[in-house]
Amino acid sequence: MNVPLAQKSPPRFGRVQTVLRPLLGAALGLFLFYRLYNVIIVQHEYGPETWTRLLIAGLIIGSVYALIAIGYTLVYGILFMINFAHGEVMMFGAYSTLFVFEAFKAIKVGSDPVLTFSNAYPVLAILIAFVVGMSVSALIGYLLERIAYRPLRKAPRLVPLISAIGASIFLQNAAQLLFSPQLRDVTNPEVLARGSGWSLMVNGSKVILPYTGVFTFVLSLILLAGLYLMVQKTKLGRAMRAVALDKKTAALMGIDVDRTISLTFFISGALAGAAGVMWGIHNGLVYYFVGFIPGIKAFTAAVLGGIGNLPGAMLGGLFLGVIESVGPAALGLDFQLKDVIAFALLIIVLIFRPSGLLGERLAEEKL
Amino acid sequence: MKTLLRKSFANGAVFGAIHIFLVLIGFNTLIGTLLARLTGVKFSGDIPPAGALIVYTALLALLGGWAAARKSKSGSLEKNLAAGAAAGLASGVFALLLSLALGWLLTHKVDFRQYLAYLSFDFIRVTLYQLAPLPGALSALGLFLFGGALGGLLRGLRGVNVVQRFSALLRRVWGKLAEKVNLVLHGRYRLALRVLLFALLAAAVVLLPLKWGSYWNYVTGTVGLYVILGLGLNLIVGLSGQLVLGYIAFFAIGAYTMALLNSPIPHNIMLGFWPAVALGVILAALAGLLLGLPLMRLRGDYLAIVTLGFGEIIRILLKSDMLTDLTGGPRGIQNISGPRLFGVDFNSDIHFTYLILAAALLAGFVYHRLERSRAGRAWLAIREDETVARATGVNTTRYKLLALALGAAFAGLAGAIYASRNQFTGPDEHSLMASINVLSLIIVGGMGNIPGTVLGAFALKGLPEILREFANYRLLTFGALLVLMMLSRPEGLIPTHRPKYPLPSPDQQQKGREEVNDDL
Amino acid sequence: MKATKLIVFLLVAALLVTACQNPAAPTAAPAEAAADGVPEICKTDAFGCAVFKPGDVLKIGMGAPMTGGDASYGIDISQGAKVAVQDFGDLNGFKFELVAEDDGGTAEGGAAVANKFASDPAVVAIAGHVYSGATSAAMPIYEKAGLPMLSPSASLPALTTMGSSVFNRIVFTDARQGPPAAEYLFNKLGIRKLAALHDGSDYGKGLAEAVVARFTELGGEVVVTEAITKGETDYTPVLSAVASKGPEAVYFGGYTAEGAVIVNQMKQTGLENVVFFGDDGTYGADFLSRTGANGEGAFATIAPIPADSPEKTAFDAKYLELFGKEAGSLSPYTWNGYDCTAALISAVKSVAVLGDDGSLYVPRGALVTAVRTLTEYKGISGTYSCDATGECNTLPPMFVVVKDGAWVPAP
Repeated sequence: MNVPLAQKSPPRFGRVQTVLRPLLGAALGLFLFYRLYNVIIVQHEYGPETWTRLLIAGLIIGSVYALIAIGYTLVYGILFMINFAHGEVMMFGAYSTLFVFEAFKAIKVGSDPVLTFSNAYPVLAILIAFVVGMSVSALIGYLLERIAYRPLRKAPRLVPLISAIGASIFLQNAAQLLFSPQLRDVTNPEVLARGSGWSLMVNGSKVILPYTGVFTFVLSLILLAGLYLMVQKTKLGRAMRAVALDKKTAALMGIDVDRTISLTFFISGALAGAAGVMWGIHNGLVYYFVGFIPGIKAFTAAVLGGIGNLPGAMLGGLFLGVIESVGPAALGLDFQLKDVIAFALLIIVLIFRPSGLLGERLAEEKL
Repeated sequence: MKTLLRKSFANGAVFGAIHIFLVLIGFNTLIGTLLARLTGVKFSGDIPPAGALIVYTALLALLGGWAAARKSKSGSLEKNLAAGAAAGLASGVFALLLSLALGWLLTHKVDFRQYLAYLSFDFIRVTLYQLAPLPGALSALGLFLFGGALGGLLRGLRGVNVVQRFSALLRRVWGKLAEKVNLVLHGRYRLALRVLLFALLAAAVVLLPLKWGSYWNYVTGTVGLYVILGLGLNLIVGLSGQLVLGYIAFFAIGAYTMALLNSPIPHNIMLGFWPAVALGVILAALAGLLLGLPLMRLRGDYLAIVTLGFGEIIRILLKSDMLTDLTGGPRGIQNISGPRLFGVDFNSDIHFTYLILAAALLAGFVYHRLERSRAGRAWLAIREDETVARATGVNTTRYKLLALALGAAFAGLAGAIYASRNQFTGPDEHSLMASINVLSLIIVGGMGNIPGTVLGAFALKGLPEILREFANYRLLTFGALLVLMMLSRPEGLIPTHRPKYPLPSPDQQQKGREEVNDDL
Repeated sequence: MKATKLIVFLLVAALLVTACQNPAAPTAAPAEAAADGVPEICKTDAFGCAVFKPGDVLKIGMGAPMTGGDASYGIDISQGAKVAVQDFGDLNGFKFELVAEDDGGTAEGGAAVANKFASDPAVVAIAGHVYSGATSAAMPIYEKAGLPMLSPSASLPALTTMGSSVFNRIVFTDARQGPPAAEYLFNKLGIRKLAALHDGSDYGKGLAEAVVARFTELGGEVVVTEAITKGETDYTPVLSAVASKGPEAVYFGGYTAEGAVIVNQMKQTGLENVVFFGDDGTYGADFLSRTGANGEGAFATIAPIPADSPEKTAFDAKYLELFGKEAGSLSPYTWNGYDCTAALISAVKSVAVLGDDGSLYVPRGALVTAVRTLTEYKGISGTYSCDATGECNTLPPMFVVVKDGAWVPAP
């Protein structure tokens, strides 16, 4: 490939900027350090038990963000498009959990009048919820690509984005019309009852480590690790990387580009579905708008970590989750401003690292 | 023939799935209601008469048959008919199964609305055409078969000699007519015609607001404001090629400047409309400059998410507890006073419509001049290839910042007028969806040109008003139309025509990368 | 050139639209032309009369978010209103109809809907709007058109202080329930350290501020005030921070959607033994089903309702039958939607005059006055008498608490 020279060296900018950037960095760093020191050490508003609670909450929500962010990153890495409807794909996963558990709640087992299927065979019930949720979401992801994106692969880059926005609006309203706008609660099997968990004693007070949270966190990590291995080691993963690198050459090497792209959407949909199921199990609340905010957040997380980069998306997700939860307390601000903190952090990171924390990389080497 | 049938079956199955989806969201009764109302059939309550639903089913089937026949790409009448009928049969089977399932719910008195909100018994009854489950299901099958075949037949008729000749004749007449019109338009009377045209246009612009009542004035005003917004965003996205997702933040700055300076609560400054507009424009431009300054290094999608974040930051800060004393918090600001010009208080919708039309014309003029200025050419160069632009001596940072600041100024202008017209502004007016609307507008209309922006504003802000008949299905239809519009006209409704030169090397920076990947 | 053609086409289309609309206009004009049979009042009324020929329907307009993130409020309130139209929507053979238009809860949508209603001569009154932002922008338009409003849920205090003659509301406002709630917390429950939370909406924030002001005045200490972000499902971070301040009670201004989540997560964040005190937005059957055992001992303030009147039971049954959901499960304002529509219909009935020509005449100015002077209107969620500013729900609140899985009057 004939890479122009100008691309290798970072673009030159005005002298003002080269001087300003380190200055700005130093000022920001000093201010943050001062603020953190003041709030955490001097004012000492929160004890260690509070910090532990905040950290736990942040890591859990962060792992869900990471799982959704992976979907954005996979698709972006291959098609260079923002799949705006990804949050809605996750929403359908959450709805699947709701309905699967509702159905199992209705099925009675044996002669015991209160024992339901979901309590009698909790592992099976959860497994089925995951299978259903992931398949529904994977199917929606796949259909989305076939209907709304594939015909637009050669169109100008903003066109698929608008198509994705249209699809997002459509899916949201379809869910609202199908299932009514009511907010619904997912009833978990009792082993994973929401709110119960291991108690830790920190600084003399009880900190609960919720079962659902640990379940979500661990499972997210497993899924992410699995995906990473798949992309690195399997034939499909190699095909995906090849397509991401150069579609034309990949096609010449005998890779079915269309099929690979379809599978990418299928996989990212399945992961979003898993995130949706975990959302249902951990947060419990399901309604048609439930995918919107996590979708935006996950997109932010993907960019934060370096879009197109799998470990980056994961790091970005966890980082964003923790910042949202710990940030307001650490900076001594209102919790209402947590999104302000998160987005401001994003801007600061991008000022100093213009392609995210870990940089972009799905294929080994970028163009 | 065999593959034809198989393909048609598959197409019919897709239509069957669509049919099931539409029934489950109650779309059939909506169309039924509209049909009944159109033909003047009276009915009580929300449930239309069964006849309307029969017509709806037949129409849907007709569409399915037509589509299947079209996909078969066959010229002969029989093949088209067969394709249509096969598709009708396939979707009919879906409809049959759905009807049977619904019938089961009805006969067993199962209230399924906890899961699927539209399945009330009345709804199921009318979906079964007020028949018993089995006859209802069978008539659904029959209707689909009949409609599908009819659709195929109609499509097939295009192949018949008589019809072909007739359509050829029509085309010829149309062509002659168009030629004549063209001749007149470009011929001797061109100037006179143009003058006439513009006079007509001006007359319409002046007269219409007086004539068509407050509602259409309001809609026109909204469209006008979105034209200004669209032009501003077009400067940033369409001309200089930077993707900005939080554009509405600049609009919010304009609106809040107007509101805070012209409302008795919270500050009671009452500066007056005109200075506030000027200040709003300046502040918005400044915000654009400040946001852009550290971020000019960022590439397309990174800039998008950063500006999205900026938009959210502005919105959250506006409604936060921290700034409530300054901004009015979630309550927003009421009682914003309107402008005064030549001793006339602007208080009627007509005044505002004129004001907005004037502002939109001004924005259009500025845009037009900018596009053709040195800066406009620099933006185009940056959009096409930033590296080359820089190499040829264009100060890319400066011009990108200029685009951002000017685009923001447009938004500030629109925002200030908007707040004054509604006499109210609040933080939730300026949500992410509003930014997305503006972005959609310029892409739907066709990026980078004025008529496209105007048309896009009509489509994006006028269409939802027209879609009001669709009630709860408004946004669903809107989303679907957005996708369909992109699929059928990816360049926008009015594409921008620019001379295209073949590039020597496929390896351009940034944009080039996608093109490399895309030109498979 | 193509573009110019298109613009010309659009203009011609627009002209045609206006031309088509003209035939409808004569109905809108004051009925002076048809001198015979026109009641005397129409000639003196400030806004003239709306005229309905036999077979015409009288429209009650409603502006509500029917799509988007807040759709459940609009859909629910309009469904409640539909039941009211079914129950009372007949006046000597003239039918009433509810026209619920989507305003998205925003000013832009509110003004668009208001203009639409104002240009439809068959609309006589407005049950709404539902959100305060939309109401703010809609009010001046109705003011000009002489259309009375009765909002089921727009709670922004400023709405009734701007001197509007058409705006009235039956929602229970901050000023009515905030200070009494603070007094109850301080005096009856003996709370001295309070945490005040709100959902960042104008409604929740207003309430929390009213409570904080009164509570501090009484001598209590507000240890922390925090706002949460609406529509989320994990509030453990903010609750953990609140817990570290050691409050004895948490006051929450907001709705069930977030309130139920907060009650559930209070048990995980070191607030197990802290009292939860909500408002009329967190009251309802949905709160009970979503909190289960966690909800025990939660308080709420509500407008005084006749405990399960037969009318209310009948309404609940009818709502369930028509829409397949429990009344109150989509929003806490189901009954308000019913009441405000029923009250408007009764006001229309009180002023409408049947002309000698068989047409129905509704004097608009008189209707505005009739709604403003509504007295002792018995609805299913309260008794309403509007004061001079348009506040129709002015009785002191009632306190309720969750006991054994049900809302009961608090001691």
